[in-house]
Amino acid sequence: MTLWMHELRLLMRQRLAATALALLAALTIAALVAGMAEVARQRAAIAAIPAAQNEDIGAIAAWVDKEKDAGSAAYYSFHPTWDAPSPLAFAALGMRDVSPYILRVRALGLEAQIYDGDTFNPEMALPGRFDFAFVLVFLAPLFVIALCHDLNSSEREAGRWRTLAALPNGGAALWRRRVLLRLALLWSVICMPFAVAAALSGAGFAAILTILLLVAGYLLFWVVLCALVERLGWSSTANAATTAALWLMLVLILPTLGHVAINRAIAIDQGAEIALAQRETVNRAWDIPREDTMKAFYARHPQWADSSPLTSAFHYKWYFAFHQVGDESVAGKVRVYRQGLEARDRAAHGLGWLLPSVGVQSVLTGMARTDLSAQLAYRDRIRDYHRQLREFYYGYMFRDRPFGKADFKRAPMFDAKT
Amino acid sequence: MNVVRLIARDELRLMARNRVAVIASVLMVLLTLVAVASSWAHQRGIADLRERHQHAAEEAFDGQPDRHPHRMVHYGTFIFRPLSALAAFDPGVDTFTGNSMFLEGHRQNTANFGDVNQSSLLVRFGQLTPAFVLQAVAPLLLIFLGYGAVARETERGTLRVLMMQGASRTQIVGGKLLALGTVALLLALPAIVGLVALAGQPGASALPMAVIVFGYTAWLLLWVLAIVLVSTLVRRSRDALLALIAIWAVMVVLLPRVAPSLAEAAVPLRNRLQTDVAIARDLRKLGDAHNPEDPTFARFKASVLERYGVTRVEDLPVNYKGLLAVEGERITSNLFNRYGSESYDAQGRQNAIAGAIGMISPAIALRSLSMAAAGTDFAAHRGFLEQAEAYRYSLVQRLNQLEADGVSYADDTAKDSGADRRKRVSADHWEAMPDFTYKAPTGATLAGRALPGLAIVLGWLAAAAALLALATRRLGERR
Repeated sequence: MTLWMHELRLLMRQRLAATALALLAALTIAALVAGMAEVARQRAAIAAIPAAQNEDIGAIAAWVDKEKDAGSAAYYSFHPTWDAPSPLAFAALGMRDVSPYILRVRALGLEAQIYDGDTFNPEMALPGRFDFAFVLVFLAPLFVIALCHDLNSSEREAGRWRTLAALPNGGAALWRRRVLLRLALLWSVICMPFAVAAALSGAGFAAILTILLLVAGYLLFWVVLCALVERLGWSSTANAATTAALWLMLVLILPTLGHVAINRAIAIDQGAEIALAQRETVNRAWDIPREDTMKAFYARHPQWADSSPLTSAFHYKWYFAFHQVGDESVAGKVRVYRQGLEARDRAAHGLGWLLPSVGVQSVLTGMARTDLSAQLAYRDRIRDYHRQLREFYYGYMFRDRPFGKADFKRAPMFDAKT
Repeated sequence: MNVVRLIARDELRLMARNRVAVIASVLMVLLTLVAVASSWAHQRGIADLRERHQHAAEEAFDGQPDRHPHRMVHYGTFIFRPLSALAAFDPGVDTFTGNSMFLEGHRQNTANFGDVNQSSLLVRFGQLTPAFVLQAVAPLLLIFLGYGAVARETERGTLRVLMMQGASRTQIVGGKLLALGTVALLLALPAIVGLVALAGQPGASALPMAVIVFGYTAWLLLWVLAIVLVSTLVRRSRDALLALIAIWAVMVVLLPRVAPSLAEAAVPLRNRLQTDVAIARDLRKLGDAHNPEDPTFARFKASVLERYGVTRVEDLPVNYKGLLAVEGERITSNLFNRYGSESYDAQGRQNAIAGAIGMISPAIALRSLSMAAAGTDFAAHRGFLEQAEAYRYSLVQRLNQLEADGVSYADDTAKDSGADRRKRVSADHWEAMPDFTYKAPTGATLAGRALPGLAIVLGWLAAAAALLALATRRLGERR
C-alpha cells in the first residue's frame, strides 16, 4: 500500500499529470452540465406542449362546434407527439439536436408529415455536440497519452531504468503499478462526476455500471496501445508522436472514412421519391371518379365499407380516404427507405467492433436512445398514434356522427411510453 | 548561400531522413486526394439526384390536367436546393439542412431529407472533405514535423554551436520557419489543386476561391509560427510536442464544440410547435376566415365592392373567392415572414456569439471563413430559404389570381354535379408558371461574408509573428 502511496505522490508532483487530471475533471463536469442543460431544455419544451396545444385546439373546437363536421375537426387539428429524452440522454445527445423530438401530425396523409424536421441552427449542429460522449471518445484518449506515453522511456532517458528494474517490486511490477494508478485516476475523474450526474438524472444502476465498465474498457484500450508503442523502445518524444498519430487515425480519420464508405455502399435516394410519389397519388384523386378511390379504400379497410354512398356534395370521408390511399401507395418505397436507414445504422454499429471510438459512441448513443434506431422507433410510435387518430376520426366521418366540442377531448392522446 | 536558406535546407533534410515523417506526409497527401475525390463524387451525386428530382417535379407540375386553380395551390411544387460550386471543397451546413422542400399554399414546410437524418452516428464524427483535412489534420501533421525545430537544438546544445558559428537568432528561427513553411505549403498543395480543379464548375468564381486559398494559407502559416514559437519557448522537445497537441486539441477539437453550446444557451430558438401555435394565434387576432361576420374580412369585402362600384360580390367582374384567397395568402405569408425572420435572426445571433468565440479560437474563424466563401454557410442557406419562400408566395398568388380571373364566382360556389367540370381552368396555365430558379450569391458577396473570419485569422497570424519575434530575441538565454 505504501508503494502505491509513493507512486501517487510521485505522480502528483509532476505538473503535467496534476494539471491533466484537473483539466479532464473540469471538462467532464462541463460536458455533463452542458448535456444536462440541453436535456432540461428539451424536457421544458415537451412540458410546454399541453398549454400551447389546448389553446390551439380550443380555438378550432369553438368554430367546428357550429357545424359539427368531423372532417373539419380532423383537417384542422394538429396532434402533438414527442420523444422524451431518456435518463441517459444527457451523456450522449446523439442526433437529438438535428432530428425532431416534437412533431405534430394531422389525420391526413402521414407520409407528407412524418419526415418534417424542427427548427435548428445548422451551423451550431455542424461541429457536433459538446457532451460526455465527446469528452470520453475524443478527449480522454489524449489524456491517457499524456500520462502514459513515457512510463518506461522517461526512466530510461533519465538513466534510472536499470536500477528500478533491479529493485524488489521494480521492473514489470513497478510498471503495472504505475499504469494501474494512472488508469484508476483517469477513470475516477471521468466516472465520479458521471455517476453523480447519472444518478441525479435517474439512470438505472445497471446502466450506470455498464457505462463505468465501458469507460474502463476504453481507457484500458488506450493504455494498452501506449504500452505497445513503448515496447518499440523509442524515445519519449517518438512515443508521444506515434500515439497521437494513432489517436488521429482512430478517432478522427477512420470514422469519417467509414462514414463515406457506408453512405457510398448503402445508397438512399428514396426520401424525396416518397414525397413526390405520395403527392401524385393524393392529388390524382381529384381527376379520377371518386368511387374508384372509395373502392380502393374499402378494399383495404372493409370495416368502413358499409358507410353511406357519396353524393355529389363534397364529403371529407372521400378526402381522408384518398390521403390514406396515397400513403398506402408508397408503402413499398417507405419500407425500402427504412431498410436503407437500418442498414446504415447496422453498418456503423458493426464498425464499432473494429474502431473502439465508434464502438463507445455507438454503445453510449444506443443506451441513451439518441441514435438513428431511436429516431426510427419514434417514427414507429408516430405511425401507431396516427393509425389511432385515423380510426378515431373515421368513426365520426364514415358514420356521419356529429363532432362537437366535447369530442375534441375524446381524441386519442399520444402515449410517450409505448 | 545565405544562412537562413542553409538552416532551412538542413531542417528539411532532417525531416526527409525521418521515415515516420515522410510516411505521415505521404498519408496526408493520400488522405487529401481521397477527400477531394470522394467529396467531389459525393457532391456530383447529390447534384445529379437533386437535378433529376427537380426536373421530375417541374414536369409533374406542368403535366397536371385541367384543374381548379386552388387544387394546384395544394398540389404545390417541390424544389431541391442546388449545391454551390465550391461545396465539394467545403460542404458546410449542406449535410445538416434538408435537401427538398414542398411549397404549397397556406403553409410553410420544412426542408426535409437532409443527409444528417439519413446517416448513421458516424456523421457526427465529422466529414472527410478537403476543408476538414486542411482545418484539422494538416496542423497536427505540421506539429509532428516541427515541434522539435528549435527545442531539439536547445535540448541537445547544438543551438550554442550554431550561434558560435555566427548564425544570429533571427537567422536560426527564420531558417526553421522557412523549412516548416515550405512543408506546410507542400501539404496544402493537393487540396488547393483540388479546389482550383473545381474552378471549371459552373458558378465557381475566382474571388471566393482566392479568399479560400488565402485564408487556408494564412491558417497553416499561423500553425507554422505557433509551432516554431512553442518550440522556441520550451527547453525540451517533448514538452513542445505535448503543449502543441494540447493547443491543437483545444483550438480545433474542443472550442468549436463548446461555442455552439454557449451560443444555444444564450439565444434559445422557438421550436416549430410553438411557432405554429403562435402563427395560428396571430391569424385569429387578424381575422377569422371561418367567420363570415369577421370584421377584417367584412372590411376587405367592403373595400373590394367599393373599388369595383358594385353592391354584391356576385356582381363583381372577378371571382371574389379568388380575391379572398389572394388576401388570405398575403396575411399568412406576412406572418410566416415575420416569424421566419425572427428565427433566422436568432440563429444569426447564435452564429455571431460563436463567431466572437472565434476570436479566441482561430479554428472557428477559419471554418466560418471557409463556409462563407464556399457559399455553404448559414447566410447562404438563409438566402435559399428566403428565395424559396418568395417563389412559393408568387406561385400561390399567381394561382389565386388565376382563380379570381379564370373561374367565375357562380361556378366557384356552385355545388351541382357539373360544377366540378366548370371550375377547372385549362392545363396550359401550369406550363406558363415560371419554374424556381435559385439565384446564387455573387462571388463578391461570398468573399465579403468571408472577410470577418479572414480578419481574425490574419490578426492571429500577426500576433503569433509578434510573439515569435519577441521569443526569438531571448532564444538561448539561460533561464
